[in-house]
Amino acid sequence: MTTSRSLVDNLPQPIAVVTESGGVDYKNGAFDETFGTDAIQWLKEAARAVAGERGWLHGFFVEGDDLQTIDVEIEGRVYRVDRILRVTEDDVPKVALSFEDVTREREAEQAKSDFTAQIVHDLRGPLSGIQGTLEFILSADTKLDTMYADLLQEAQRESERMMNLINEILDFSKIKSGNFIVEQEPVRVAGVLKRAVRSLQQVAARDEVFLISAHGRDVPQIIGSVEKLTQAVINLISNSLKFTPQKGLVSVGAQIERKGDAPEAIVITVTDSGMGIKADELQSIFEKYKQSGTKSLRGGAGTGLGLYIVKQVVEAHGGEVSVASVEGVGTSMVLRLPVRRAA
Amino acid sequence: MSANPIPNPKPDWSRLVGDSLKHHGVWHTYAKLLEARRAYPGDLSLRGYVEIVRNTIVRDFLAHPKGMQAVPKLSAEFMSNFDRFNLNAQEGYLVSLIDGRLDVSKLILLSPFDPFNTVFILAKLQVERAITVPQ
Repeated sequence: MTTSRSLVDNLPQPIAVVTESGGVDYKNGAFDETFGTDAIQWLKEAARAVAGERGWLHGFFVEGDDLQTIDVEIEGRVYRVDRILRVTEDDVPKVALSFEDVTREREAEQAKSDFTAQIVHDLRGPLSGIQGTLEFILSADTKLDTMYADLLQEAQRESERMMNLINEILDFSKIKSGNFIVEQEPVRVAGVLKRAVRSLQQVAARDEVFLISAHGRDVPQIIGSVEKLTQAVINLISNSLKFTPQKGLVSVGAQIERKGDAPEAIVITVTDSGMGIKADELQSIFEKYKQSGTKSLRGGAGTGLGLYIVKQVVEAHGGEVSVASVEGVGTSMVLRLPVRRAA
Repeated sequence: MSANPIPNPKPDWSRLVGDSLKHHGVWHTYAKLLEARRAYPGDLSLRGYVEIVRNTIVRDFLAHPKGMQAVPKLSAEFMSNFDRFNLNAQEGYLVSLIDGRLDVSKLILLSPFDPFNTVFILAKLQVERAITVPQ
């Protein structure tokens, strides 16, 4: 025991055992060296509730909670705080925490994210111009030679694909940098689905796929982000369209789950009559950089981030995602969003 | 000594639904999935499997050579013996719109239900032989 203690005493990483009220039960030499006597003060602050919000220290004490690690700003630097151990001594719960200075890593990540956002923004501008021009030429009342019309349609398809890739990279960089903030506004889910379906109706018609709504107007509101949910549904529909053959069907539905009379959740489904996903790929389909082994019928490979982003959006709304698929028959993406009332 | 019950493993829905579609067809599979949903209310993926089967039913209906321009008609059997058909309120309403002239796209416009459900009800009426959709 003494040897172990002396080992921890001499570890180069700051370690402390603290109580829920921020009291320090033990600290090693590196902790003293890094934080000095000021630690007593900020640990107390980390334990205190401000305006009803509990301090970050509280999260490590919640039974069954998964909080193992958190980034915290201490005296102008960013530390990654890891919970090593949770124990109860004399009925007093305590946690052993280690601290690692990650200021430089986080600054580098932020710089990378800012750079990505800037590049993406610079790429989107001219690409929107190209898309607008192509749309104008194709919809204008001009008699195009069939070969040129086909080539322009191909260019339009590829520009759409490029725009999707750019948007996915932007969303992913936001998720990675922690800047993925979900607004808290009332969302008319029926409106979200209608907008998403309308925005892809032309693509579906061009690919000769039926795209049909399968929901009424009486879908309740939820609290969240109209923009992010619309983008998530658009991602799912455009994925479905890519894997659905001509004369196939993509349907977009919403069902209400009730508890008594009150709506509890909305279940959104985007279902296609495509080629389906292999059973062994279903479990990992929402992981980043994962792509179905099934080859898309239109356009090349994507970033493998689309479904990962959809999952992040849904989870940021307190919801969950699932997938169903039968090879050769079709696939259905299922999003369950809780109905939360505005505070 | 205490023993915790081991939860039943989740069925392999993908394989079960695939096999059922192959051997028993869409309507039987649909009915079985509705039963499964009652037995596994917390299984979110089951909703997806129900939708895959419904989607297949609607797609098959729209695969008619005339697609949305196909014109459903009330069957002779329905006209002479409609008591045999145990229609629910939605089916009854849709049947009341069928006059042998309105095509599927117009029925969708006139129907108070969403487009998908309108076609799904038409497909159900067709399989129950309440309506026919001539080529």
